[in-house]
Amino acid sequence: MARRNAGDPADGPALAGFGRYAGPATLILSSLADGPKHGYALTKDVESFARVRLAPGTLYEALARLESQGMIEALEAQDRRRPYQLTAVGAVALKAHLDAQRLVTDVGLRRLAVNWTTG
Amino acid sequence: MSAPAPSADGGGKPGGGDAARRAARLLRWYPRTWRDRYGEEFAELLISDIEERSQAPGRSLDVARGGLVARLSAVGVCGLPLRDPGAMAPAAVGDVAVGRHVTASLVSLGCCLAVALGFGAAMWSQLTIGWQWSRPASTASAAGFATVATSVAMSALLVIAVLAALPVLGTVGRRIATRQAGGLLRPSAALVMAGAIVFAGGRHFENGWPGTGGHGGLIPGGVAAFEWATSLSVSSYWAHPGALGAFPAPEVAWMAVCPLAQAAAVISAAIVVRRAALSARVLAFETRLAAAACTVMIGLLAGCSCWVATGGQPAGGQRSGGQPSLFHAGLIDVAGIAVLSLALAIAVQAARTARRGLGLARG
Repeated sequence: MARRNAGDPADGPALAGFGRYAGPATLILSSLADGPKHGYALTKDVESFARVRLAPGTLYEALARLESQGMIEALEAQDRRRPYQLTAVGAVALKAHLDAQRLVTDVGLRRLAVNWTTG
Repeated sequence: MSAPAPSADGGGKPGGGDAARRAARLLRWYPRTWRDRYGEEFAELLISDIEERSQAPGRSLDVARGGLVARLSAVGVCGLPLRDPGAMAPAAVGDVAVGRHVTASLVSLGCCLAVALGFGAAMWSQLTIGWQWSRPASTASAAGFATVATSVAMSALLVIAVLAALPVLGTVGRRIATRQAGGLLRPSAALVMAGAIVFAGGRHFENGWPGTGGHGGLIPGGVAAFEWATSLSVSSYWAHPGALGAFPAPEVAWMAVCPLAQAAAVISAAIVVRRAALSARVLAFETRLAAAACTVMIGLLAGCSCWVATGGQPAGGQRSGGQPSLFHAGLIDVAGIAVLSLALAIAVQAARTARRGLGLARG
């Protein structure tokens, strides 16, 4: 029987199941991989590393789904703002998702390098 | 005066200023349960966002869309159960939040089923009346197929509705017997009362059934007469007050009272189910029935659509004198198809959400 590795999507919920929320979910989990953040800090961090501004409604829709799936957890509220932190389940799901994305990225870049000259 | 710049960490000024008022207004898009959980922190984010970018046309649209999704999620048509802050453990079968969300999905599905039964009965009654007076030459004709298909589908939906009600009745009965019926007695009484009105009124007005005197039907005459009487309000006569005025006054009154009583029965049943705190086992059983109900609703829609799409003409064509046949489908039936389609779409979404909720609980 094949041995499963840590990070196998079968270990827990996968981001693929998020459908159109997979994009915001990946950005949020990547941001929280750096440490707990509240909503506004998350928005600014994502804007700085991905050049994408998550609109408030979209951000909280994704946060609620991630929390329901146990990928993030809410910490004690501080001054009406509640920070969120990545859970072990979330870390596994993020790693699996990013590994799959890297596979596609590597193949795409390799083929571009061979067949196309880009600026 | 320009809005003050947000502080470096995005901390807004709670309770004051134009930004807070706009944030509070935007927050109204979301349902109460969502606001209880995320309202305060979300308002803080909105205040910071508004103070940073006063004019962002996409923001209101994004919040409205998010609010709509949250509202659909609150009634179990999509999404996942909201988690209480600090709930560290993964969702479990007995988890209150999961149970509440699955129950909400099943209640929404039940409402769709009730709508399908109501509008389905209206079309079914016309088909069965048509069958009584001029039986189609073959069940392969559109009207013949539609009558058989809707009869099978409506019977199956009724069986499913009864099967779904039994464990709920058992739970409510146990709670009442053990004096733990807090919040269940009033809606249960309202349900019984509304059901009694529909039943008594249906039995009374079925005597005016136009099918009486027909020659042998597909279903027992009494059943056909009752479904005709209880779906009398689904009628295009509402658009023709002159013609409606020629109806006997008690019949017009019944046309107005019956849908109100039916709505009261559905709302009361929804409240009972929500408050009954059904066990995980019952929820799993009801979710399986929900999938079956969706399948049968597809059959009902197919039968009705087939009839309406062909204009309801049986093999015999028109009646003598150029009058439309008894199987003639009118605009009200086209509207009925639209309502059935919408009910089916919502029911399928709700069934999927309930199944996903149970799956989440099982891990």
